[in-house]
Amino acid sequence: MMVAVFAAMTLALICGWFGSRTLAVALFFGCLVLSIGLFLFEIYSPESGFRMPWIQTEIDGTPQVRS
Amino acid sequence: MIDSHRSMTTQRFLASLNYIYLLLVMFVIAGILTTAMTLQYVKGELPCPLCLLERVAMLGVCFGIMLNFRRGFSYQNTGFSLLFTIVLLVIAVRQTLLDIYPRPGHEYIGSAIFGIHMPVWSIIIALCLLTAYAIKLAILGGDEYLRGAEPSEFPAIKKIADIMILYVIAICVINLVSVILQCGFGECHTFNYKLLQ
Repeated sequence: MMVAVFAAMTLALICGWFGSRTLAVALFFGCLVLSIGLFLFEIYSPESGFRMPWIQTEIDGTPQVRS
Repeated sequence: MIDSHRSMTTQRFLASLNYIYLLLVMFVIAGILTTAMTLQYVKGELPCPLCLLERVAMLGVCFGIMLNFRRGFSYQNTGFSLLFTIVLLVIAVRQTLLDIYPRPGHEYIGSAIFGIHMPVWSIIIALCLLTAYAIKLAILGGDEYLRGAEPSEFPAIKKIADIMILYVIAICVINLVSVILQCGFGECHTFNYKLLQ
């Protein structure tokens, strides 16, 4: 997936330099969509994602007692 | 007649300022990406997936600037740059929140530069980009003369910009090869280069 993101950006830059603007912009938006998708995958994947369970307070059922 | 000539001179000066501004932004981003790549290849600090996405976001900012130099100035191109600036900010904030209290076994953050780690630098960079674009719009405005001035009217700036664009494209190609070596066609990890094992 990361390879696809970088490939899309590389092609967008090369098309922007040599080729048509329309194709470059299409690749640019393709890269944007892939990047957002990969970012969401990375942060929500239960196995390898970057979850932050320490701020998910709803799963902490233990009431805090103050003395 | 004299007023009209003076006005034309001022407009040309402001248009040149606009292109110099864009060139400086690209120069700074190229410098940041070069530093990140130096840390990767010299110190052996492999980038994490979110770090790689931050690099893509910076290259996306350069894409909008490149179109301004190749196809003439347009606020649509500025929009392209701003889109990826926002992506950069969101990813960097998320990564910094993650690094404040790392998940056990995922304490890898990387070297600090001037006492600040790369995700925090990314937030600073994104905020600087947004601030710089806001200041530029406030000072230069959205006037027609910026769109009317072709980059070819400023040959020295255009020449430097072309070299800088080619350098950014080279950075992107090197990163693509590096990502293929590090991640293969699957998920990315920071342990080693997957295809060099």
